[in-house]
Amino acid sequence: MFDLLVRSRKFIIGTAVVLTIVFFGIIGSMLTRDPLQTNAYHAAEPPSSEFILGTGDLGEDLFAQLCAGTRNSLLIGALAGGFATLVAVLVGGIGPYKGGLMDEISNAFTSVVMVFPMLPLLILLSAIIGGGRASMFLVAALIGLTTWPWAARCIRSQVLTLKERGFIDVARMSGMKDRKIVITEIMPNMLAYIIVVFVVSLSIAVLTEAGLSMIGLGPDPSSNVTLGTMLDFIGAGSTQVALPWTMWWAFIPPGLILTIFLVAVFIMHSGMDEVFNPRLRSV
Amino acid sequence: MKRIFAHPFFRSVYKKVTHPFFKFIFKKAIFYLIVAFIALTFIFLIPRLMPGNPIDQMIPPGTTDVGRLRLRAELSAYFGLNKTLPEQYIDFWSHLLKGNLGLGMMRQYNFMPVAKVVMEKLPYTIALVVPVLFIGFFIGNWIGARAAYTKGKLSEAGYFTSIFVSQMPFYWFAMVLLFLLAVNFKIFPTHGTFSPRFIPGLDLTSFLDAGRHYVLPFLTLLIITTGGWASGMRSMTLYELDSGYILYGRQLGFRNKKLLSYAKRNAILPQFTGLNINLNNLIGMTMIIEMVFQWNGLGLLALQAVQARDYFMILGTFLVTMVVVIIGNFLVDIAYAFLDPRIRTGRGG
Repeated sequence: MFDLLVRSRKFIIGTAVVLTIVFFGIIGSMLTRDPLQTNAYHAAEPPSSEFILGTGDLGEDLFAQLCAGTRNSLLIGALAGGFATLVAVLVGGIGPYKGGLMDEISNAFTSVVMVFPMLPLLILLSAIIGGGRASMFLVAALIGLTTWPWAARCIRSQVLTLKERGFIDVARMSGMKDRKIVITEIMPNMLAYIIVVFVVSLSIAVLTEAGLSMIGLGPDPSSNVTLGTMLDFIGAGSTQVALPWTMWWAFIPPGLILTIFLVAVFIMHSGMDEVFNPRLRSV
Repeated sequence: MKRIFAHPFFRSVYKKVTHPFFKFIFKKAIFYLIVAFIALTFIFLIPRLMPGNPIDQMIPPGTTDVGRLRLRAELSAYFGLNKTLPEQYIDFWSHLLKGNLGLGMMRQYNFMPVAKVVMEKLPYTIALVVPVLFIGFFIGNWIGARAAYTKGKLSEAGYFTSIFVSQMPFYWFAMVLLFLLAVNFKIFPTHGTFSPRFIPGLDLTSFLDAGRHYVLPFLTLLIITTGGWASGMRSMTLYELDSGYILYGRQLGFRNKKLLSYAKRNAILPQFTGLNINLNNLIGMTMIIEMVFQWNGLGLLALQAVQARDYFMILGTFLVTMVVVIIGNFLVDIAYAFLDPRIRTGRGG
């Protein structure tokens, strides 16, 4: 299955772009200056040879902020995606595998959470953890814990079809313990779906984190830069001062990076879908 | 879920409902009532778990220590916050069932009835959400079905555009539109619902003034949702065009137009189930877009209430949001039941 993946043009292009952005974040933030350092002599300057992307209203180097922001946003995305995948596997996997009451409870729980509008709920919850002053880890955990329902649905339907297969029955009849069946028989077959779920959760988390930070409810902007904190133009957050709208160099690049990343993940995901989903397979 | 419906009480009601269409609606209604109960409990609990206290923010800064203590005690008693949490929870339900949402505690709406403030803001949010939901659904699906049918360079360009538009962060797109159309070319105003120092009334001039402010938030939401529908519909139609009944129809010599109409009808069903999730996303998106454009709706009010830790205003805004979402979901389910012949006629499936 994974050798088919390499032959998918969509997957290769998407992955290449995603990896480029990851390297841009990691290596770029090593080479540039401190993204939080202010410089009153160069406040709100348009792009120049010294500051490639210009400076912020306090004279921060925006290129350095962009690199660090990309890295931090991806870090939060990966953490939150991991959390969401974990919850989805637990809720969407164990329930249907055990069947009976467990299945009903997990299914009802998923459908109840699914009806909740996610963003308003996140805005409320992020105020509890002290949005705007919280650590990146907390924000990631919060995003992960609210974005799992659709992923649980995906995994549930997979587990339900896997459960009926012959080799699982054989394993059960030969006296294998449940835990061993899950690890040696079900997991290897689920791996592809779990990867897909993780990748999509990651991109949702990156998008959500930027939105939360933008309205001042994300991680603490005075210690971490993310792509969202760079977009603090609306000044709706209590700690933020709105930047003037004429500073196009400050908000175009972070949004562009976000867009390119999300589009690349989407293309990568549809490439994976074509390979893993036999009904769509064309390679 | 099944166990709840197996309860003797439900079975006695359920037995009398014989038509599967009404059975379906009955089940959904019970489900949404449970969801509403859980949601309201959440909205009651979450503000009270937040750090910070709305009472402290209401006391004027120059008050002496003794006055501060007395004021705090009196205000807590006035808002019923000196009781224990279970007592407050019972109060909350008894007031809610009477339609009383309490009084505002934040500076802008001090001691104003929350229900009145929220009802004033609700039309502005509905004016954004409902047209965007329907117009986006129709235009997006129309474009998507067209894109599936056209071939060659144009199709690929359209496909890529729709992906690009649907994956773009909506708040950033709002900023770009604002920068281009409001700041650079000054076609539309940058923020607000009415021009500054304009006194709105129920006449044509205030309607036109609000209309000019309405265009940008509306366009932002519409373009983003249309992109999502279009890319979804394209892949669904392509999938249907590949299936057996279309190939059979083609061999029988049906015209392409006829075949496409068959494919479209099957492709639109999954899109309809997506309407639920899209509505939930749209409500969240509208909240943030309202903040970007300072549009005077529920979303802006909700954020201000969260920042001021105003328990009753948070309750009011999120309650109305949840109720809108739940009613919307219920309506979509009913519409789906009408569309799906298996549920409508009660045969097959």
